[in-house]
Parts: sequence; structure tokens; C-alpha cells
Amino acid sequence: MPPISRGFRGRRHADVDPARIPPGQYLTTDFPVLSAGPTPRTPLDRWTFSIDGEIDAVRRWTWDELLALPQETVIVDIHCVTKWSKLDTEWTGVSLDTLLDGVETEAEHIVAWCDGGYTTNLPLEDVMGGRAWIAHTYGGEPLAPEHGGPARLLVPHLYFWKSAKWVRGITLTIEDRPGFWEGYGYHDYGDPWREQRYWSD
Amino acid sequence: MSDDHTLDCNGVAGLLREVLAPDPTTTHRRCPDCGDTQPLGRHRAYRGAGVVLRCPSCDAVGAVIAEQASELVLHLRGALLVSRA
Amino acid sequence: MTPRAPITWRVATVVAVVDETPTARSLVLDVPGWPGHRAGQHVDVRLTAEDGYQAQRSYSIASAPESPELAITVQVVPDGEVSPYLVEEVRPGDELELRGPIGGFFTWRVEDGGPVLLVGGGSGLAPLMAMLRHRAARGSTVDTRLLASARTIRDALFRDELGTLGPREGLRVAWTLTRETPPAWDGFTGRVDAEKLAAVAPPPDAAPRCFVCGPTPFVEAVADLLVQAGHDPRAIHAERFGPTGS
Repeated sequence: MPPISRGFRGRRHADVDPARIPPGQYLTTDFPVLSAGPTPRTPLDRWTFSIDGEIDAVRRWTWDELLALPQETVIVDIHCVTKWSKLDTEWTGVSLDTLLDGVETEAEHIVAWCDGGYTTNLPLEDVMGGRAWIAHTYGGEPLAPEHGGPARLLVPHLYFWKSAKWVRGITLTIEDRPGFWEGYGYHDYGDPWREQRYWSD
Repeated sequence: MSDDHTLDCNGVAGLLREVLAPDPTTTHRRCPDCGDTQPLGRHRAYRGAGVVLRCPSCDAVGAVIAEQASELVLHLRGALLVSRA
Repeated sequence: MTPRAPITWRVATVVAVVDETPTARSLVLDVPGWPGHRAGQHVDVRLTAEDGYQAQRSYSIASAPESPELAITVQVVPDGEVSPYLVEEVRPGDELELRGPIGGFFTWRVEDGGPVLLVGGGSGLAPLMAMLRHRAARGSTVDTRLLASARTIRDALFRDELGTLGPREGLRVAWTLTRETPPAWDGFTGRVDAEKLAAVAPPPDAAPRCFVCGPTPFVEAVADLLVQAGHDPRAIHAERFGPTGS
């Protein structure tokens, strides 16, 4: 049993419904910056978002085209595998339902791919049904580069490594293809409520 | 398939300790992508789900440390060089 | 041989606290069985709350290897989780867990020789101070130059001691203040730039060992400047202080 550090409490808050905090998580009020590599900087006039792979024709939007689509603002809780959770975060972006509207595919999985080379995999159904967005605004301000700006994938019902920063597209795949962290032993699905952090969980 | 000359890891434990145990920040790593050799202490470290160490010359992933609940897993790309001086 | 970092945690007792600036404090620690360290190394500190919650951070050892007491210097990080506790709450008698010493890449011994260039920003001065205190303890006159950066004179860590640290022969200490200068200030003003480095550093052909420590943007900027000035990248040792992100 390690010695107790007298008077140390950490930054926790008692006035939150504990049912909102998944097992093994601690609440934070700041927004830690985590990444697998340096922050990419893609100018908006060269930025595009694509849907490719198991699809009849590649779909692609420029930045302006993305912003011209119906936008949604959502307030969600986010949970990082490194144990912090942040509640009531506000994001604005385009729902994946809007982007996938009318797409016919045999694919059951996707791989999100990003500037800088990061990837993460998800079941296709997990980015549908109002559960995922391409988010460009956080807290009413343009998403900062260190947090994934100009745009990141937002999938708050899974651990936040699945909300890929600097996303540039999703590839629809027949088979499940592990992304960056999944390939290094992190859980293939990543449900915070079942504490699916690593492959063995 | 082994033969009479095959040792197991215990027979070379001393050698393994020499290469695995020293100070990691002075151990050098040769990058398979760009061929450069640099001390691990000069590799940039990024904290994500786990830790990513990137080659200071070409930025390629050099090592990944996954901190799991009961164990640490090190994935290493390239070769480690440990000075015997 | 650099002392190896034990992987186990030791219990350290706070022996004394020293307020260095309004926002920084040194903790003097008693660590039974401490194996010794090299100047530049750091320790991991772990705190445990009553409900078992733990937080861990790394801090540079500011004391010389020759000192009988181990000291770390902690700078308050705004809205930080651990640093405000260590700087504002901790008192002598308190216990915390410690692991180390860690890191051989960012170390210097008198035997390594010089000339030496030290460039530190904010709390990045802590490991450089260990190097200078080591130099003093050994009575070394190795050519050593320190360019220290702080926002204001009140934030200038170790400034008094740096003004009197010996041996003065071979030692040069220069300060730059980036936000506000006191009346009659005769040091540098503004961020570390090529001109200040050229004024303080040994020339590249003297092949100095360069140690740069501080916040990540500071370290990256200074390292770039040194390379542009012609210093060998392999002679530049950097230690970036950044948020842990967890």
C-alpha cells in the first residue's frame, strides 16, 4: 500500500452524477492534448474529406463544401483510455449520416485515415445513427490544431482514440483492419462502459 | 527445431541484460526507414493512448510503449545499439 | 556508468521546503537508500490520495550529486493537478513516492569536459542548476556559459545563487527577461534569439556541449537556432518540459 500524500486530492469534482463516469475514469475540467505524432498543418484550400473503399464512386468534399452541408451542434461526454473523462463538451460538425447518405456498400467496417498517417478502425454502424460527426468547431471556436483541427472524427460513445484527429477520410472495408493503436494492442472496439482498453479486455 | 548446439535464453541472459538493461536514453537506435542512428534520448516522445517514440531524423515511428493494466508492452522498430565502452 | 534507474518506487520524506520564487519551490528530500545521481537526471514523483487515486509527474533533480540531500524544484503549472499541491501544500514530514534517477542522455559531469553551453527557460533551469552546483562542488573551472530566460525578475529561478556560485573562473551567467524588466536592468531583454546566443555561446568550432531545457516550444526554438548558428546537432542535448496529457 503506497503512502498517502497528506492533503492530495487531485483534480476531482464531487458534484457530478457518478453514473456519467465510466469505470476506471477520473473527471477532468481541462482538455489534455494527446497524439501519436507531430501536429500536421494542412491549409484549408487543400483540405478535403473523402469516403472511399467499398463504394461505387469516391465521394469527396472540399472545406467549403463540408461547411455548406447541414451542421449539427452536440454536447457530449468524452472518455480517454488514459483515464480522463470530460463532460458536456460542445462540438459542431457534419453528421456521418449526412455524409453517408445514399451510400450503398457491402462494407461493415471503416478505417478513418488522417494527415500525419494516423488511422483507427470502427464498425460502420458505429458511425451511423447519430453517433458520429466530422467536427470542426469546439466550444464555439474553430477546432485548434493541437486538438485535431481543422477537423476531427468525433465518436463519443467509444474511447477517444477512435475520434481521429486531423481526419481526411474514411475507407469502407469488408474486413476489420486494425488502425494505429489497435495494431499496438489496444482494443478493437473500445467501449468505455465495458472498459475495453486493451485487446485482452 | 533445435539441435545439440542450441541454447535457450538463460544461456545468454548476461548478454541480453547488457543490451536490454542500460540507460535507455543513451542507448542508440538505428532507424530501418532512413538508416540513421540516434540516441533514444533524442527521439521525440508523443503521448497518445500509449507512448510513441519517433526517429529524430525522419519522424517515422521508432518504438511504441503500450501501458496496459498489468504489463508494459514495447514494440520496437529497427535495431538497438549499446556501447560496450 | 550512469546510475541505473530502479524500477521500484521508494518513499521519500520532505525534509525542508525552500520558496524560490512566488510560484516555485524546492523540496528537499530524504530518500533512504538513494543510489546517487548524475547532474541532469530527474525523478518520477507519485502521489496517492486517500481514495487510492494516483497522479505521477517527472521533476528534475536540482541538487548536485555531491550534496547529501536530494532536492527537486517544482514550478506551479496554472490549473495544474500536482504542481500546486507540491508548491503550496506540502510541508516537512510529508511523504511521497519517488522513482529514479532517470535519464543518462541529458547529463553532464565535470569529467565530460567543456566548453559547455546551458540554455534554460523557466523551470528548465532546474537540471542545469544541478550541473552548475556539481561544477561548483568539484571546484571545476570548465568553460561554462548559462543563458537563462524568465518572464520577470521575480520568476528568475536561482538568480541570487547564480550570482555568487563559484568558481567564477570559466563561468558566465546571462539572463534575459521576456515580459518585464526592472529599472536599471543590464541583462538581455526578450526571447532567446540568434544574437543573444552568439553573444553568450562558445563559437561552433569550439565544439561545446549544449544542454537546452524548458517548455517544448522554447527548446525547439533554441535547438533550431543553435543548429542554424553552426553547432553540431549531435552535441545538442534537449529536455522538453511539457504537460503530461493524462
